[in-house]
Amino acid sequence: MMVAATERRRQVLMAGLGTALILVMGTVLFFGFRLATQMRTSISALQTASTLQTYPETIAQQLNSLRDRLEVRAYSGQALSELQTSVKHVDTNLRQLEATGDADGPQLNRARLLWRQYQPVLDPVVSFTGQPYVDSDTAGSSLSSEGRRHYAEVKRAQLFANENARPLQTHLAALATALQHTSSDAAARLRTLLLAGVFAALVLAVAAGYFQLTRARHERAAREAQDQTRYILKSVREGFFLLDADHRIGSVWSEALSHMFSRNDFAGLSFEDLLKDLVPTATLTTAAKYVKLLWGQRAHENLMKSINPLGQLEITRDNGHGSKETRYLQFDFHRVMAAEGIKHVLCSVSDITASVLLARELQDSQDNANAQLDMMLGMMHVDPLQLTSFLDTTETSIKLVNTILREPARNDAEFRKKLAGLFRELHSIKGEASALNLSSVASRVHVMEDMVSECKKRPELSGNDFLPLVLKLDELLAHLRSVREMAARLSVLKDGAPTPPAAAGAAGGPARAAGALDELSPTLQSMAARLAQDHHKQFRLSVAGLADVPAPYATTIKDCLIQMLRNAAVHGIEAPDVRRNLAKQDAGAVNVEFRKTPGGYELVFEDDGAGITPQNLKAAAVRKRLVTEEAAQRMDTRAAMALIFAPGFSTQEGVSMDAGRGVGMDVVARSVANLGGKIGVSTHPGKFTRFRVVLPGVDADSAAVA
Amino acid sequence: MSANLKPNTKKSFKLMIVDDSNIMRRRIERSQQFEELQLVGTAGNGLEALELFKKTDPDVVTMDLTMPQMDGIECIGRLVTLKPAVRILVISALADKATAVEAMEKGANGFLNKPFTDRQLNEAIAELLC
Repeated sequence: MMVAATERRRQVLMAGLGTALILVMGTVLFFGFRLATQMRTSISALQTASTLQTYPETIAQQLNSLRDRLEVRAYSGQALSELQTSVKHVDTNLRQLEATGDADGPQLNRARLLWRQYQPVLDPVVSFTGQPYVDSDTAGSSLSSEGRRHYAEVKRAQLFANENARPLQTHLAALATALQHTSSDAAARLRTLLLAGVFAALVLAVAAGYFQLTRARHERAAREAQDQTRYILKSVREGFFLLDADHRIGSVWSEALSHMFSRNDFAGLSFEDLLKDLVPTATLTTAAKYVKLLWGQRAHENLMKSINPLGQLEITRDNGHGSKETRYLQFDFHRVMAAEGIKHVLCSVSDITASVLLARELQDSQDNANAQLDMMLGMMHVDPLQLTSFLDTTETSIKLVNTILREPARNDAEFRKKLAGLFRELHSIKGEASALNLSSVASRVHVMEDMVSECKKRPELSGNDFLPLVLKLDELLAHLRSVREMAARLSVLKDGAPTPPAAAGAAGGPARAAGALDELSPTLQSMAARLAQDHHKQFRLSVAGLADVPAPYATTIKDCLIQMLRNAAVHGIEAPDVRRNLAKQDAGAVNVEFRKTPGGYELVFEDDGAGITPQNLKAAAVRKRLVTEEAAQRMDTRAAMALIFAPGFSTQEGVSMDAGRGVGMDVVARSVANLGGKIGVSTHPGKFTRFRVVLPGVDADSAAVA
Repeated sequence: MSANLKPNTKKSFKLMIVDDSNIMRRRIERSQQFEELQLVGTAGNGLEALELFKKTDPDVVTMDLTMPQMDGIECIGRLVTLKPAVRILVISALADKATAVEAMEKGANGFLNKPFTDRQLNEAIAELLC
């Protein structure tokens, strides 16, 4: 805008200079012409006056000559005619001088006055037309009476002319001098005028030159500014552009924009079109409304900034290699104000993907640290012996996993068998970890379980499919080492004495397991609390008689309870609102009792949840392709119930940390069977589910074997 | 803070507070420090607000968005139709920008997120009044 005003001022100045030049040249030419004309007349008058100077003398001589001729009676016609010519010449020229006016002055007046005195004397002479002589034989030629009179007049005129020739000549000379002065004055004026004109023209030319020079300088500066703007727009990392009142992009934008939006031409593009294919429709609508609001005067800049919906815009675009990538862009808007209101909206776009990802990473590591802290706090509540027991058991399980992985397998069936074995082991580690609230361990095992599930889905298996699992297993081992370290440190803090080393002797195992089972009740309680929280359920767990569990059964009973508790929390107990609708108490009840019976031992696990219907079990089994539809239809209630213990069975569709894999009850049933026991289930839909585990009595021999 | 935020003119403005929470209505009433604001009434939902508006003709309105019967967004539209010069400050717990833009588009003049400090409230009202 400033540039435009300067430009206008410069144009006005140039026009003024042009006009001044024309005026000066016009004036000079006009007066110069007048002066030249005046000089011409003055010079011609001077010539006349100069010529006239000689005439008084000439007239006097002619009169002398005429008198002499008359005296000698010679022919006087010639002399008279010469005189007449001279007189006429003086007369005419004087009148001419009078007419031009240039010579109008005292000198001319004096000359004219004197000449007027000549006239009465000269007139009779020049107007003589008669014959001056008469010829007679006696006296020869003699003056006639006319002649005598003529002679007298000539004589008088001659005397007058002789007397006045010099004064008249002086007057005429003075006149000539005066005329000469006049013309030289005019010449001097003309010279001055021309000089002034040339000078003025020079001044104007210099001024014009100066302005042209400054203009060139300004233009150069403007060009440089333009170049600099271009460099800035080329190298700035933000995308810049202006939006006009129609929300269209102006003709200038920074090059970063091209990279951000993978296009090269933005001129005239509407803001909506810019974002159209990159963001969801709802975001686009909000963005369009927001940009419209920017043009209203109603909202303050700060307010508009605070409600900017494009502060962190997630866009999806082609990365140029055929796949999509997600970027985060930050749009900032600034109104460009002019006298008449908002003229443009300046939009700056920055790619904040790196900082968004960094923030996420920070959040992740924060979460991780929190998880570690939670784990540590969780571990503080776990009995060190129980923890050590878990670590030892897990170590054994992992060894088993390793063994399974190392087992040679040649065909698909063998690979699948390996996978099933892996899955069972991993699942039991996860169960124990969850029971001890070791979520970092549980989540790692969960990831491995997922990988195994993925493998299972593959149409064909090879040894290579197991490689990622081996890597994950190493990671898990490293993590378990750190858990063990942490446990050792905690134990130092708690008791001032380190926990027993990990590699425990075989004889020590059962003893510790029995000890651990004394503490199983609080572990189950904390697991129940966590399960209730995770699954938004409410239930009370009451446990009785676990102190009586014989050492050989400890691990199995523990596995049983963990698995059953998980099943009860996930499948059995209904959500509080569901229970309310069924006229049940919001909080469910889970009862666990271990007791000695005449023939051995009995574990009863009961929940007052939804129960199990054979229909549900059959439907789930068909969905899992464990049985065909026809087979399911043929099944009686007992056979349907047995599906609970079938490998790979689950009624829950989703997969969570706690249940849904359908391996747990399979493992439980197998380990109960290994101990020579039985497991049974009784249920009433909508009322309860009850598991009964019956185990034989323990004698000293069997204890030694375990 | 509020002392130098007040406009020089001592013109009086009629204030209406709309919020479904009684506690929040009292909080806004007590926390605002503008002598020129005269409270003419409070409303607990959009319909009430509309009725009260017709009766008392307020100049300044603080408006909650999530309310029973008629929500704030719709109410803003109605109020602005009744009196285009009314100045509305949206005070809402809805923090997403799309809601704010929607409210502004309907005719609100300011937006304040709950929870807010007294200072934030007074600054928002000061911006609304100038």
